[in-house]
Order: sequence, then structure tokens, then C-alpha cells
Amino acid sequence: MTLTDFQHLMPLLILTFAVLVSMLVIAVGRNHKIMYVITAVSFLAAFASLFELRDVGRYTIEPLLVVDGFGVFYIGMMLLAALLISMLSYAYFEQREERKEEYYMLLLLATIGACVLVISKHFASLFLGIEILSVSLYALIAYLRTRERSNEAGIKYLILAAFSSAFLLFGMALVYASTGTMEFAGIAAAIANFTELPLLLLTGFGLMIVGIGFKLSVVPFHMWAPDVYEGAPAPVTAFIATVSKGGVLGVLIRFFMEVDGFRYPTLVLIFTIVAIASMLAGNLLALLQRNVKRILAYSSIAHLGYLLVAFLAGNQMGVEAVTFYLVAYFITTVGAFGVVAMLSDKERDAEQLEDYRALLWRRPWTAAVFTAMLLSLAGIPLTAGFVGKFYILAAGVNTQLWLLVVMLALNSVIGLFYYIRIVAVMFQQPEAEAEIQPRGRLRPSIYVASVGTLTVLALLLVYIGVYPSGLLQIIQGLLVTSTAP
Amino acid sequence: MELTFYIAAAVAVLATIMVITRYNMIHALLYLVVSFLAVAVVFLTMGAPFMAALEVIVYAGAIVVLIIFVIMMLSLTREDVEQEKAWLQPKLWMGPALLSFVLLAELVYLLVIAEMPAAPAVAGSYVDARAVGLALYGPYVLGVQLSGILLMAGIVGAYHLGRQKKKVIHRFLQEKEPQKERSAAI
Repeated sequence: MTLTDFQHLMPLLILTFAVLVSMLVIAVGRNHKIMYVITAVSFLAAFASLFELRDVGRYTIEPLLVVDGFGVFYIGMMLLAALLISMLSYAYFEQREERKEEYYMLLLLATIGACVLVISKHFASLFLGIEILSVSLYALIAYLRTRERSNEAGIKYLILAAFSSAFLLFGMALVYASTGTMEFAGIAAAIANFTELPLLLLTGFGLMIVGIGFKLSVVPFHMWAPDVYEGAPAPVTAFIATVSKGGVLGVLIRFFMEVDGFRYPTLVLIFTIVAIASMLAGNLLALLQRNVKRILAYSSIAHLGYLLVAFLAGNQMGVEAVTFYLVAYFITTVGAFGVVAMLSDKERDAEQLEDYRALLWRRPWTAAVFTAMLLSLAGIPLTAGFVGKFYILAAGVNTQLWLLVVMLALNSVIGLFYYIRIVAVMFQQPEAEAEIQPRGRLRPSIYVASVGTLTVLALLLVYIGVYPSGLLQIIQGLLVTSTAP
Repeated sequence: MELTFYIAAAVAVLATIMVITRYNMIHALLYLVVSFLAVAVVFLTMGAPFMAALEVIVYAGAIVVLIIFVIMMLSLTREDVEQEKAWLQPKLWMGPALLSFVLLAELVYLLVIAEMPAAPAVAGSYVDARAVGLALYGPYVLGVQLSGILLMAGIVGAYHLGRQKKKVIHRFLQEKEPQKERSAAI
């Protein structure tokens, strides 16, 4: 480790330092507000430190990590998402009786895990990153222990995540057995001469896809998603849907670009089937749900399917499309779960469709933001979701993935139905006069952070939807350094 | 050396099968210890004595002792064994076991036909404690740090989830509440 190594790992060091400081602060005295400020400031500081790494090129810290434009962009994206989630968490946890302070520590730790994932270039760091992320998530999901479903969700995630980690490890072992190395570059060199993957290596990759697919909750490894989304506290759900999936998708892209996995028809076939199944199953199952959190869970399964379409394009444009769509997806998902978190009261989360009846008349601004988020998820023009979907379609058409493109278009139509249904419920006329009265709220000052965050998200959503080229330039500028091997 | 490897590997597999088929948890645990010891012998025959020692100390020693404590606290009785027996009906596990067996057969076939790229000879390389230490605190020092972070996440999470619920406050702690109120009243 040299001084330059430390400079390039500055975001991670800041986060780690913040965790240690929080632990000491808890030891001195518990204070929700101080913990919240420490967390938010450290996320901001870590994000600011990324500007130093703007034009890093490709800096490797042998043998585990590589810091490049791709990694810097993904880390920045995840840090911002985590910052917004922590801001939404404050009001959510303030009204709950549980101890709140450990939540922020676990949030920081989980973010560290996700950041390690996107800059790893070695199986060891990949696995450690995934484990840091998962272990923090076990506790985060079951965090509100007094709630009915939280234990169920926690246990489900624990068992399935541990099981999928075992698959991942076994796959890594097989890949190691047949290539003799655990570095991505080394594997790429070892298989460079094969036109067809040897069976053992294919088995290894297949088992790894099981482990990765679980984390991405793509069909057929999606069973946990609805239950866990429903049982976990709303901000944690937002975290699972965004940062956790973004990190894993980042390392998947890095690995595939490095070993050039798109050369092998078998792997492409596997991902094609997974993508189509995710889009179809996600959207069709969402139609049957009456629970907003479960609808969003199925919709996130479908969105991962869309992302895989661009991923399968397998070229520079595909990576750009994935990244752009991921940004749009992050904004909308954090926004949607932010609304859910804000409407939640002391006992339970606002998750039933009934809770949203006539929301427009009770809380017009919240309803407007939620509508914007849902329309963006559906891919309506003037929102970021539309531009992202357009970009994915372009990437798909560009590489002639006709089947996937047709499925994507078809699924967007199915998806439109259940998003619009939530919007319609919100726009219904209130039945009784009593419903117009807003429910008892907390002190307004607590809501400032939530309201501010939601406003920022809504503005970003429309800004990227109307003027996408600004974001595109950033993405292209940062990615150009990394994907050209 | 080859023969010792195969014997130890066979013992490990058999012991692990016994672990998951026993009705009595203590019996299962004893087989688990045997399985760990067999894996330790496997490591030894592969030329990794330090790993073998760690396997014995950490798994067979510390972790199994922890599990024994948990089982003691559960205070299992003969009825629990019967219950376990009732749950583990052949019709329940036959299906999954058959399917898993097919997968296992496929995997074994794959491993048999695969050409290993110059597989390291079983007794060839020798990795002692010094080599492990140099690797961990040389190139892989970041991995060690990350493991530390992982442990921290585990401990913080376990602390939060394992904290006693409000309903069962210990009597020493219960006395604090009125005191607090008194001081607040003053």
C-alpha cells in the first residue's frame, strides 16, 4: 500500500472512518440526529473525494482492486443514492421506538460493500464485497424487530443469500480449477483462445450466475424479492432495490467486459432467457398485487430484465445504456420508496393500495411526486425513465437483438397498466369528508429532509428526462477510459 | 499420499451425510466435528498444514463449542428427537435428494472428463504459516481489511438483532426505570 493507493481509495476510507466514528459516538451517547448528520456528511465527503479521481484513467491496486472511470461513476451513483436514502430514513426512523443509531452504521457498511464490488477485479474482493453487502442487509432488513413481517423477511434473505453465496463460491472454485487464477484479467487470458467454453468452465460460470442472479433478483432467482421488499423498512427496501443491485450489476458488467463473455453463445443464451423471463414474470405477477411494495418489487424484477437487454448488447453503447438506465432507475426507485416511507406511520408502512386512495386530495405534492416516479418507471416521455428505455431500445436495435427488443416493448405496455392503476387510485375522489383531513404528522421540521429529498429527486427526474445530454456526456467521458481494454 | 487424500475425502463426505440425516442434534454435531477433522486432513495432504491447524482450532474447536452451548440452552428432550424423526420422512427428502443426485452425477462426470491445466501435484506445493502470513499481509492486505469490515457488519447486526426485547427486561434493568422517573420528577 502506497500513498497513492490511499488517495485512490479515499471514498472507501472516508466511509470506513465514518463507521468507526459512529461507533464511538454511540458508545458516548445515543443521539439520532448526530448519527444522521455524521452519515450524511460522510456520504457527501466521500462523494466530493471522487472529484479528485475524475480523470483517473485506470489505476490498479494489485491484486484486488482497480479504480477507473467506470468504477468512479458507479461509486458516485451509489453514494448519492445512499445519501438520499439516509435523508429519507431520518423522518421514517424518528417516529419508531427501536434504537435507530445502528441503522446508519449498517447503511454505511453496506455502501462500502457495494463500492468494493464495482472496483473489484479479483474473485476475493468480489466475494468480500458481496458478503459485506449481504451481512449488513440481513440486519437492515430485520431492523424493525417489533414489526410483524420483518423477521420473516430477514430469515428469508439470510438463508437464500447464504445459499446463493455458496453457489457463487463453488462456481469460483470451478473457474479457478480450470483456469488457475482468480483475477479477471488472468481468466480472460486463460480463456482467450477458446472459441467454445470448456464444460467445466461453463459449469463454473453457470454457478456464479446463480449467485449473482440472486442478488439481482432476476427470474428464476427472484422468489425472495416480494417478501423481503414487503417486510423490510421502506428506506431499506429502497437500498436493496438500488445500491445493492447497482453494485452487483457493476461487477457483472466489469467481469463480462474483461473476459469478453459475449463471445460465447451459451452464456448469451442464458442471459437472454433470464432477461425475457424477468421481464415477463415481473410484469405479469405485478398485475396481481394489491400491495404497493410488492408491486414495486415485481417492477424492479422487470426493470432488471430491461437492464439485461442493454447488457447483452455487449458493446460500449450497451454499457452506456445500462449506466444511463441505472441512473434513471435509481432516481425513480428511491423516489417511489421515499414516498412510501414518508406516508408510513408509526405502526406500519403505507403499503396497501388503499392507503393511496384519494392521496391527491390529501397531500397533493406527495401524490404529484409519486405520480412522476411511477410514470418514469412506466417510461412516459419527459421523464428520465423514458430516455433510459429509449437508450436501451437503441442499444438493442443497434446489435440486432430483435427478440429482446420486441419483448421489451411488449412488457412496457403491460407495465403501464399497473403503474397507471396506482395513479388512478391516487386520483380517485375522496368518499367521505373525513378522509381529506391529513393524518397526524410529526413536527414539520423532521420532514424537511424528506420533502427536500423528494423535491430534488423529482426535479432531477424531469431534468434528465428533458435534457439527457448533460448526464450522457458525464457517462461517456468516464466510461471511455475503462471499457477499452 | 494420494491414498490418504482419498480416504480423508471419503470420510469427510460420509460424515457430512451423517450430519444431515441424524435425528439427534448432538449426534449430528459429533459427525460435524469428524467432518471438519477430515477436511483438516485433506488440507494436510494438500500441503497446507497451517490451514489444517486453523480448521481444527476454529471450526472443530471454537464454532462447534458455540453450537453445543446453543443446543444446551435449547434443552432438547427425547420428544424433540421424535419430532425431528416425524419431520424427516423419506417421502419429503426423496424427491430433492434424487434431483440433487442427478446434478451431482453430472458434476462428477464434468470433473472426470475435464482436462485440468497442469493441476498442481497433490503433494508438490507446500504452504506453511509463513507463506500464508506473507500473502495476507503482503498483496492481500486489503482483503484482510475488508474481512475486518465484514466482521464489524456482522457484529453490529448481531448486536442489534440479538438485543433482548422490551417484554423480558432483566430484573436488574427493571429497577432502573422507576429511578429514572424519580430523578425526572425531582
